[in-house]
Amino acid sequence: MSAAAFIILYGLSYGLVLCLIALGLVITMGLMRVINLAHGAFAALGGYLAITLIQRAAIPYAVAVPVAVLSVAAFGVLAERLVYRRLYARSQLDQVLVTIGLNLVAVALLSMLFGPNLIPLEPPPALRGNLDLGFREIEVYRAFAAGVCLAVIAALWWVFERTSTGARLRAAVDNQGMAQAMGLNVPVLFSATFALGCGLAALGGILAAPMLPMEPMWPLKYLVLVLVVVALAGHARVAASVAVAVLVGIVETGGRYLFPQYGGFVIYLLLIVLMVMWPNGLLAPRVERA
Amino acid sequence: MNTLPTLLRRLAGVALLAVASASHAQEVVKVGFVGPYTGPFAVAGQAYRQGVDAFLALQGDKAGGRKVEVIYRDSAGADPTLAKRLAEELIVKDKVTMLAGFYLSPEVAATAPVVNSAKVPLFIVNAATPGLMKMSPYFVRVGQSINQPAELAASHARQAGKARGYVAVADYGPGHIVEDSFIGRFTAEGGQMVGNVRIPLNTADFAPFAERISNANPDVLQIFLPPGAAAVGFSKALAARGLTQKLLIIGQGEAEDGDLPQFDDSILGFKSILYVDANTKTPESAAFVGWLAKNAGPNARPNSFNVGAYDTMQLIFKVLGDQAGKPFDSQAAIQSLAGYSFRSPRGPVTIDPSTRELVQNFYLREVVKADDGSKRNKVIRVWEQVKPTAAK
Repeated sequence: MSAAAFIILYGLSYGLVLCLIALGLVITMGLMRVINLAHGAFAALGGYLAITLIQRAAIPYAVAVPVAVLSVAAFGVLAERLVYRRLYARSQLDQVLVTIGLNLVAVALLSMLFGPNLIPLEPPPALRGNLDLGFREIEVYRAFAAGVCLAVIAALWWVFERTSTGARLRAAVDNQGMAQAMGLNVPVLFSATFALGCGLAALGGILAAPMLPMEPMWPLKYLVLVLVVVALAGHARVAASVAVAVLVGIVETGGRYLFPQYGGFVIYLLLIVLMVMWPNGLLAPRVERA
Repeated sequence: MNTLPTLLRRLAGVALLAVASASHAQEVVKVGFVGPYTGPFAVAGQAYRQGVDAFLALQGDKAGGRKVEVIYRDSAGADPTLAKRLAEELIVKDKVTMLAGFYLSPEVAATAPVVNSAKVPLFIVNAATPGLMKMSPYFVRVGQSINQPAELAASHARQAGKARGYVAVADYGPGHIVEDSFIGRFTAEGGQMVGNVRIPLNTADFAPFAERISNANPDVLQIFLPPGAAAVGFSKALAARGLTQKLLIIGQGEAEDGDLPQFDDSILGFKSILYVDANTKTPESAAFVGWLAKNAGPNARPNSFNVGAYDTMQLIFKVLGDQAGKPFDSQAAIQSLAGYSFRSPRGPVTIDPSTRELVQNFYLREVVKADDGSKRNKVIRVWEQVKPTAAK
């Protein structure tokens, strides 16, 4: 009983943070069809920026986090204009090679700027300690991170499904040519979407930092987990991403708890099963591809 | 005949050149220091350089009338075959007289055949698998054998009245040896093991392992993880589960003084057994710490890596000094080290003649808060001059 409670609670918080990072990539891949393997670098950038603001500039957590997220989003726009714009027309192999190269450059830069050690992000005093749920305790921070992720994901879902901006975005995803013919300013839309993707990654990285400490290898280390979520979620579907990420979080946590030595492999078994049974992503797409 | 004088002149010229180059070769002795200067273990590589630079700064760079030149080669801590190739190149191309450093045991194991055929002494700074010393008569280890602190921890726990033991190690060679050594000693002294777990090396989230340990309800926990991300994450997970307050937790090098700024206060009370006490006060350690403070940044403290590199240089200088003026003889060098005692920044040490490892003090340290609010390891127990146990 307590094992199940642990696996579900911790798996949920882990999965939701993973979901936030992965959602950014799901959105950019879905809309812009660019395989951005450097996505983890934006998440790590967010984490490191938050750490620098909080520890070196003594800015409070509640201010540093939005500042870091917006800065990374702005940097994302710059990256999109300078680098990614040239990748849209190129083959997928070219995209993979360039973005993996960017990832490696990011790892080297982070190592040069911050050193090879890992740097912890301390939660602010208000978020430390444990929360007593009656049947067991959970860290306050994990509950907070899960709550923030749920709020952001709900906001994203609402924007996508219920607003006209979201409708335009979905139109551009489903049929870019027709959307452009209808007068949608696609370049601006792409820049804005890339900024959103980077911002989500940065927020995810900052929320994950106390649980998954920041180090120069961070972008590469968690790339695989993020890609697992993206691969199983299909194109630009918020609900599927959440479902897959929570599943990944629970399976990861449960695997490591129940089979400590092989826990890391359980997630790949899940990946194989899900890819075979739902090759187009969990939860079928609303419309067929044209 | 005109050719004989010419021939004699030429022979004389060649002979002069040979003598000149031989004497020139005796003036510089090269030492190859292979280490992880980049990659996930770069912190250890940086510390190796600190130890070497400190020694050369404090003791000069001349030994036995020859100048000692250290050549660094980066193994990136990843690949034993790369370490072996670097050793080969150092011996064949750079003509080093001795090798030193290395990080992981597989690197040293891979280099054993090279060292044996070239007859080059190799000073092991970090790799701690017991079986390594049997692989070459040219290995000298200035670190430890990984079973030593595990056995001391088990004995200490039994003496402290702990009866329910749990071992959590990283899932690789040295971790398995720690597991076997602790379990063997703990059960031999009457304790009962309630569980053990092997943690995969790439683990990011340690909460599941802390949960398992908590559910087994032990009263002493021996851990062994590579220092860095793994150690920080695991200690936080243990603290979050309330285990740091509930159990006696004993580790090895996970929370050295140089690493302590990375931890939050949940590390207070964490105990570890290692052969280095960063706060020891001897003339040798004072000189070493003074050099570190001036040259290696505010967070640099003595640790197993920089002290090990420092002591390696001390041994290298000793054998060069013994063989001043003669061509270098590796077998004589190894023999001259057997039983050699010297004062290291870590304290008095002797090289055990039968295993070529150190007889040294081991310290039980606890992380405490110093008066200025920083954290440091405080020695709470000393085992004096522990002899290495024979390799199995």
